[in-house]
Amino acid sequence: MSVVTIMMRKPLLVLAGVVGLLAGVPAHAQQAVEVQVSYSKGQFQPGELRAPADKPITLRVKNLDAKPMEFESKSLRVEKVVAANGEGVINVRALKPGRYEFYDDFNEKARGTLTVQ
Amino acid sequence: MHRQEVTQYRHRRATIAVAVTCLAGWGGVACAEDASTWRDIETKYIFGFTTGSGIGLEGEKEFTVDAIGRFGKRGGHYAASETKYEFEFTPSQFIQIEFGALGSTHHISGVTDLDDRRQFALGGAFAELRYLAIERTSSNPLAVTLAVEPTIRRIDETGGARVRNFELETTINADLELIRNRLFAGFNLLYEPEVTKLASGETQREAKFGGSAALAVRVAPNVVLGAEAWYLRHYDAANLTAFTGDAVMLGPTLYWAFTPKMFMTAAWNVQVWGREVGSPVSLNLAEFQHHRVKLKFAWEF
Repeated sequence: MSVVTIMMRKPLLVLAGVVGLLAGVPAHAQQAVEVQVSYSKGQFQPGELRAPADKPITLRVKNLDAKPMEFESKSLRVEKVVAANGEGVINVRALKPGRYEFYDDFNEKARGTLTVQ
Repeated sequence: MHRQEVTQYRHRRATIAVAVTCLAGWGGVACAEDASTWRDIETKYIFGFTTGSGIGLEGEKEFTVDAIGRFGKRGGHYAASETKYEFEFTPSQFIQIEFGALGSTHHISGVTDLDDRRQFALGGAFAELRYLAIERTSSNPLAVTLAVEPTIRRIDETGGARVRNFELETTINADLELIRNRLFAGFNLLYEPEVTKLASGETQREAKFGGSAALAVRVAPNVVLGAEAWYLRHYDAANLTAFTGDAVMLGPTLYWAFTPKMFMTAAWNVQVWGREVGSPVSLNLAEFQHHRVKLKFAWEF
């Protein structure tokens, strides 16, 4: 590998590192914990989810209703429309301990919580 | 006290009275409701000219029209506006990106040091990168976002003349949830250097530095009322070495969500104190305006 090639690659590696840092991507990706929730008759089931702290989470949302729903959470900073009788997968960053609310943006009454410990 | 100063004093008292009345009156009404059943709120736009820490939701896209009007200079008639036609999106749970075009209007007559002008123009373009550095959790009420916004203009923001202007606004946007879902405090720290090449070939360098504090009360699930104060300093150098004047602005703020995907914000600031270096007059109307108004409409999709 020539000196010029190394010199050209160094800024790119630095840039990739900065972008990775900004995007919140850990240097060594952790195994995500999968959490499932169903949506039926306009309600989340179960309404209270649990997950471990400091580990990425894969939220699997199954919509059993005959109309679409939008899984949304301001504190989790995610939103996803899940088609009628469909399934949505949402990747959530590693979370600090706490209580995170979520809801169906199309249905004012459908709400749930994710407790991270 | 001169008649003009008396009028300015009355304006200041009226502005403060309106802000205090809004906060006290609506705060009392709001306390009668149970906010624990309300959904979380995005804090980015609830503080008026002060920007909250919110960066949106991953995958969310938004189109906004954000107009800022500036009124009142020393003597004559001064009315100018700059409108951002903006697209913003959140590609990750830590970053928000915005970009768009600028439209500007100038209606100036008889103002000291400015040419008379009546025009509308496409004034430039901008982009913004926001990074959430500290996130709020149920056990940490503080959230902090770092933002950098480069802007290019072909029309001078103040006077409306043809120029080449490059500005780099850098801000720290922090907010605190003082009462869950109900009461929020917002803080901004601003450093905004810019360089302008005039039609004559002359190059001007200047900078603004300052900060703000805001308080916002959520009086209903979709309505937030508040007040904010700004302190701004102006320099004729990007490295903050040639101080030319400063000003304090105060005013009320409003956030109103029409639907879960559509909202507006409004704010009005009036300069209540200011000074120009080497000038005995009250208020700094050379570098800042007497009044500024913000009106923003947003559609999420």
